[in-house]
Amino acid sequence: MNAAYQTQICSQIVHESGQGHAIAQFGELFQGVARDDEGKLHRCLVSLPCDKLSSTAKFISAASGDLLVTPASKQKAQKAARIALEYLGSPVQSGTLIVESNIPEGKGMGSSTADCIASIMAVAAVLERRPEPQQVAEIVVKAETASGNVMFNQPVLFAHREGRVLENYFRSVPTMLVLGFDTEGDKIVETLLFPPAVYSAKEIEQFRVLRAALRRAILTHDARLLGSVATASAEINQKFLPKPLFAEICHSLREVTVLGVAVAHSGTVSSILLDAQDPQCNAKVDLILSRLESFGIQNILQFRT
Amino acid sequence: MINDYKSRNSLLDTYRPAIVRLAGNLIAASFPLMKIYPAHACLEQAAARGVIDPDTLIVESSSGTMALGLAIACRWSGYKLAIVSDAACDPLVTMRLKDLGADVTIVPAPLAVGGYQRARLNKVDEICRLVPNSWWVNQYDNVDNAQSYSALAADLVESLGRIDCIVGTVGSGGSVCGTANYLRMLFPHLYVVGVDTLGSVLFGQPDEHRTLRGLGNSLLPQNLDHTVFNEVHWVTAAEAYTATRILHRDTALFRGGTSGACWLVARHWAENHPDQRTVCLFPDDGYRYLQSIYDDAYMTQNNLWIESFPEPRPVKHPLDAGPKWSYLHWARRSYGVVTGLKNASNGQVLSAA
Repeated sequence: MNAAYQTQICSQIVHESGQGHAIAQFGELFQGVARDDEGKLHRCLVSLPCDKLSSTAKFISAASGDLLVTPASKQKAQKAARIALEYLGSPVQSGTLIVESNIPEGKGMGSSTADCIASIMAVAAVLERRPEPQQVAEIVVKAETASGNVMFNQPVLFAHREGRVLENYFRSVPTMLVLGFDTEGDKIVETLLFPPAVYSAKEIEQFRVLRAALRRAILTHDARLLGSVATASAEINQKFLPKPLFAEICHSLREVTVLGVAVAHSGTVSSILLDAQDPQCNAKVDLILSRLESFGIQNILQFRT
Repeated sequence: MINDYKSRNSLLDTYRPAIVRLAGNLIAASFPLMKIYPAHACLEQAAARGVIDPDTLIVESSSGTMALGLAIACRWSGYKLAIVSDAACDPLVTMRLKDLGADVTIVPAPLAVGGYQRARLNKVDEICRLVPNSWWVNQYDNVDNAQSYSALAADLVESLGRIDCIVGTVGSGGSVCGTANYLRMLFPHLYVVGVDTLGSVLFGQPDEHRTLRGLGNSLLPQNLDHTVFNEVHWVTAAEAYTATRILHRDTALFRGGTSGACWLVARHWAENHPDQRTVCLFPDDGYRYLQSIYDDAYMTQNNLWIESFPEPRPVKHPLDAGPKWSYLHWARRSYGVVTGLKNASNGQVLSAA
């Protein structure tokens, strides 16, 4: 038992109830593998954050009884709250967790990650604690095995099955206008049932180049380069979880200069990344929206990074 | 941070290229010894696949920088190495190979068909048959050669961001094809310029004796993917050597002859495309060439000084190239489409037309 944990033991219930909030993601800007300082390979990603959608959790502590969750389907959130109570050294393990979210599930939009983060933050609020993003990440990964990295509020290269940050850029994501959509309205992808991609030696080397480009793009705020990274990452991963219509959509937009495309690496959503500073941005958005509609795609979400 | 010399990245870090701006839009990746990259990667990947073990004898045919790269990588990793070379291998390299523990076999004479190249490969075959636990690196056809340039592509993109054009000399095809393919993931419109020499079969010239070494080939390697190239240049030894000396005088970069050839072409291209960020690859340093390129008497005796560089001459077919600097809009076509010849099968030596 380490010293940090010792201090956590002293937590006490300060408030009867607490709230937590977390935003969605819209697939990933990058997903692949990267080496750590020892040369060991890790599966990792950088989420594309989307603050248009979010999850809010309320935790009401109780002196005894079960840890209940509403709606009952939010079992990962319940598990995250339970782990958080223990991890933050709460004297009680009982209460009611109420999760409200407008993030669609099974689409690669990080609905369960957001639920878990919101729940952990709600529990922490009751204890009047401010857990570090790294602690939140560890709890989320324990609760749901693999997660996005939105708990960091900044892009990090995140080993999503370990809850470990491989590289922190200490910068925000370059500003982009995102047109997000779902090519498979009915389909959902359960992250844990979807087998992790097995990358070839060649792809591992390609990711090395993309990782370097990613670092440059974030550090120099180069949205164009970031768009190229997202596109290349999408192309490599396309064979593991193909997005129907995706190639056709890209083809139909070939004459429109955009920053790139991003896809959910475990999910069904895709997005087109545009330069918000581009004077022709509005015209491009109109054109892209009409093309997407001609493919029968509705509910296109517009947001900025 | 100080690297332990045995740590995983120390070898590549030690031999990392300097990324140097030579003009507004012209940047060089200047290597102490570029072949460390493929040498290291070929060994590492073969070991990862279980093709080699710590007792395997590594075998390769090379008279130049690949031999040196392998000798360093093998010494660093603890492998035994046998190098097959020929009379063209200079004594400085041989000395260093031996000091690094490599066993150097010199083939005595060229074969009537295939010359020294075929004679060396026959010897490699003989060693591999004689030693049961041996492995031929085969830099020409080993995909890990081209794949190893991820380290370079990563360095370039991190240092520079967008890259519009890359210029490199072609021998095995590994460095240019490997680097270009990685960069094209991010920059699909990257313009790729290959630099070859007259008398090299790589881009459809007939095989002939070549003074300029370190680029060109008498064989078509599998690592050479012709469809990578937008443009191909053929330069002469005199042009490349003079350029190497001028590069040294202008920039104090002390480079080998292939760097001079590359710089000559890259500078011309960059000057004609001022808005295009151009990267050129300089494969090795100048020490091996002190008694040739950097020796005034040698240069004069062999008529290798030229007063001024010719304007490169555009040609429509590889056979029209020469006798001076020439170039062809390869336009990412296959070997067969450009030359009208059937694609030479791997390892086949194309005899002089």
